[in-house]
Order: sequence, then C-alpha cells, then structure tokens
Amino acid sequence: MLAILKRPAATPYVELAPGAAVEAARGLNRAASVLAASVLMDSAVEHYRGSFHNRAMYAPLVSSALSLLAGLHGHTDRRARAHPVRDAVFAAAALVGLVGSGAHLYNIAKKPGGFGFQNLFYSAPIGAPAALILSGLLGFLGERTRDNAPGAPPTIAGVPAGRFLAAATGAGLLGTVGEAGLLHYRGAYQNPFMFLPVTIPPLAAALLGLAAVGAERERRPLIRGVLRLTAGLGFVGAGFHIMGVGRGMGGWKNWRQTMIDGPPIPAPPSFTGLALAGLAALGLLEGRRR
Amino acid sequence: MSPRYPGYEVEAKRDTPSWNEATRLAVDKRLAVPREPRFFTTDEWITLEAICDRIMPQPGDRPKVPLPAYVDQKLADNVQDGYRYAVLPPQGEAWRRGLRALDDAAHGVFGGPFRTLLPERQDEILRRAQAGALEGEAWAGMPSKAFFEHRLVPDITHAYYATPTAWNEIGFGGPASPRGYVRMALNRRDPWEAVEAKPDHEAKARQANSRVR
Repeated sequence: MLAILKRPAATPYVELAPGAAVEAARGLNRAASVLAASVLMDSAVEHYRGSFHNRAMYAPLVSSALSLLAGLHGHTDRRARAHPVRDAVFAAAALVGLVGSGAHLYNIAKKPGGFGFQNLFYSAPIGAPAALILSGLLGFLGERTRDNAPGAPPTIAGVPAGRFLAAATGAGLLGTVGEAGLLHYRGAYQNPFMFLPVTIPPLAAALLGLAAVGAERERRPLIRGVLRLTAGLGFVGAGFHIMGVGRGMGGWKNWRQTMIDGPPIPAPPSFTGLALAGLAALGLLEGRRR
Repeated sequence: MSPRYPGYEVEAKRDTPSWNEATRLAVDKRLAVPREPRFFTTDEWITLEAICDRIMPQPGDRPKVPLPAYVDQKLADNVQDGYRYAVLPPQGEAWRRGLRALDDAAHGVFGGPFRTLLPERQDEILRRAQAGALEGEAWAGMPSKAFFEHRLVPDITHAYYATPTAWNEIGFGGPASPRGYVRMALNRRDPWEAVEAKPDHEAKARQANSRVR
C-alpha cells in the first residue's frame, strides 16, 4: 500500500505513447457502451414492469440506446478530436440520467414513509438512473480526453486526464456499490457471494482514488488486477442473477414473473463498464512501459 | 348485466406456468366437493340451501356453485377459522342451533318452515337475525346478530369466492402458485391477469381475455 502512496522524488519520466489519449478515449467509449447496454436492458424490463405509466419512462431507453451506439462508434474512431454528435448524445444521456434520478427521488419522497427502507427497496430504485449519468459522463469525458493535441499529455479542464478519469471512475464505482449494497441488503445477503460487489469494487474505487492523487508514470499492477476483477464481477454477477431468477417460484418456465421479480440480470455489468473506464484512466496514468 | 371480465376463464391457466401441480390438485379437490350432507340432516340441508339462495343469489344460466355442500364440508371436516367469537358456540353447534332457530322464527312470524316461504319473507327473517331482533329458546343465548354476521354470511360467501366460477366474475387469477404478481401498485395489471371491460368496450376486453393465461 505504501508503494502506492509514496511519490518517488526521481520518477523516471516516461512519455505517453502518441496514441495514448485516443486509446484511453476509446476505452471510455467502450465503458459508456457497456453501461448504456446495462441501462437499456434494465430500464426496459423495469419500466415495462411500471407499465410505462409515465411517457418519460421511455426516455432512458432511447437515450441509453443512443449512448450505446455512440460508444460503439467511438470505439471504431481513432481520430484525435471530439465528435459533435457523440458529444451531444453523451451529454443528453447524462442529462436524462440526472432528470431520471430526480424523478425517482420524487417518486420515493411522495410516498408515505418517505426515504424509509420500505420505499428505498420497493419504489423506483434511487441509484438506477445514475448508471445512465455515468454512461453519458464517461462518454463525454472520453470525448474530452480525445480532444487533445496528439503527443501532448491529455488534460481535462486543466487537470491531467488520467487523474481526472481515475477520480471520476472511483466516485462512479462507489455510487454503484451503494446501489448494490442497498439491494443486496434487501436480499439479506442470503448468498455469501452477494458480498463480492461491496468488497472488490470499493477496493478498486479506493485504489483509483489514491492513483488519482499519486505519482504518474508508475506501474500499478495491483489496481490493474483489482479493476480486472471488478470487470469480471459484472459477468459473474449476471450469472448469479440468472441463477437467482431460476430459483424463483416457477423458475425460468415462469420467466415473465421471475425475471422481473428476481435479481436484475442486466445490473451487474455496470461494474464491468466502470472497470473498463478505470483501466482507461490507468493507461493514461501509467504511460508507456519502459 | 354484462360481465365485468368478459371471456375470462381462470381455468385456462390450468396447464400454463401460472398453475402448478399443487394448485391443480387444490382446485380439483375443491370442485369435487361431496354434493350430499355429511354433517347436516337432510332437513337442515334444505333450509341451508334456501338461506344460501338469499345470501348469495346465483344466476340461472350456469350451474350453481353448491354452497350448502361447502358449508357442510367445512363442518364435517371441522375446518375451523382459527378464532371464535366468545358469544358463539363452536361452528357446528352454532349452525345447528342457528338453522333451527331461523326455522322457528319462520314458523312464528309467517306460520311455515323457512324453506317454503316466499323469498321476500325469507329475507325478512334474515334481516331480523341481522338486526339481532330474533330471540327465543331455540337460540339458547346465542345472539342472532353475531350468528348472522360471523357464521352465516362468512361461511357462505367465503365458500362462494373460493371457486373458479366466482374468480371469473371478479377477475381473480386463483392461487398465485407458482406465478404471482409483478405489478404491485394499485390499478396495474400483469399480462396474465384478467382484463376489466370498460363500458362499451366489452369486445376488446373479451378478445384480450382470450389471451390471458
């Protein structure tokens, strides 16, 4: 841990590879896509459950679908400049997510009991729209990372891009951990593996936080490892949730109920998306291998 | 009166993911209720039949739900409620005493057995019981009001609404086993729930209900 914290006086300066910023931006585009895919499927299922009672409930489906496409487009784009349409799509996604968070908060607040566990558990999930904010934000930050003169160390708002992204991704991970923690608490942690998303991603978030303020151009195999674990967790979690649906009464034969009442299968991959963003940030912080 | 859930057939769920073997067996057992008295005498049964027709009148265009059979079954098998009002004796005794007392009242007020009275006169006797206005030796201290409210009406109506015939009328899906509910909020419908007809849109509801499983 100390090795992470200490900032050696004479860090050998290693230049970033010329295409590092674009590579990181593409990683962020992929991260935005994975998060958007998670939001698209999750909100489709959950808002279908809510009978699309309010027309605005279609918004996250449209916005996340666009964010997914914009991310895929960014993945194929190797140019070192922001793309105006992608920029607009990502900004809109973050905005829709923000409005959605407000709507979910209002939905909880207006119910008897307010912000008690009953409503936090069973009303519109407080943290779900945040995944759309993160998809939009990561995509948007990807565009900012990309929008740097080739060769120069990329910056976002004057801060080295790697630091900025590490901090943003760490914060996003903590928010997602909060959501998983709340809902796994509702599930009484009945399976010990339910502790995984509240142990590994927080560690990744802490390490990213340290990296954001630590030395640049330094190899960080521990963070890389934990981020990869976090990325894998998204798939493992989806697998566990598939099992969980099968354990509902009537099993998969009764999927029209169990898939909706059971654990949300598309939710865990948002950890994968955030881990991809963390790895992109790490790439910028580490620089080229000597 | 047009049905509220036109075309809805709860038993269409029988072989779908909505019902499992346990549910099918439970419903079959309920429908196979013995149609002759095991607890009551034939005389009591006929009086009970007349009472059921007044408490839960049924349309003539379909087979009747055999309500006396269900009440008799509950008493014969001694299926209890889990609680008892202290003013009422155990359920079997309450029913026997209540039926005899209502028949006595019919004789006293209208000069004939309950089962032979005109429906309005039967209603009059039942209304007096409901108001607690019937007293006499046959009641043996059991308040007629408590018998009416807590024994007579619940045993008959609960039996009625435990049958697929009633479920079709009220758009109920039967036992939620294994399939339960997804939309818990008020006035939201799951795809496997009955569709309520809006006035003048019965055909639409009928069509939708033909797909409900």
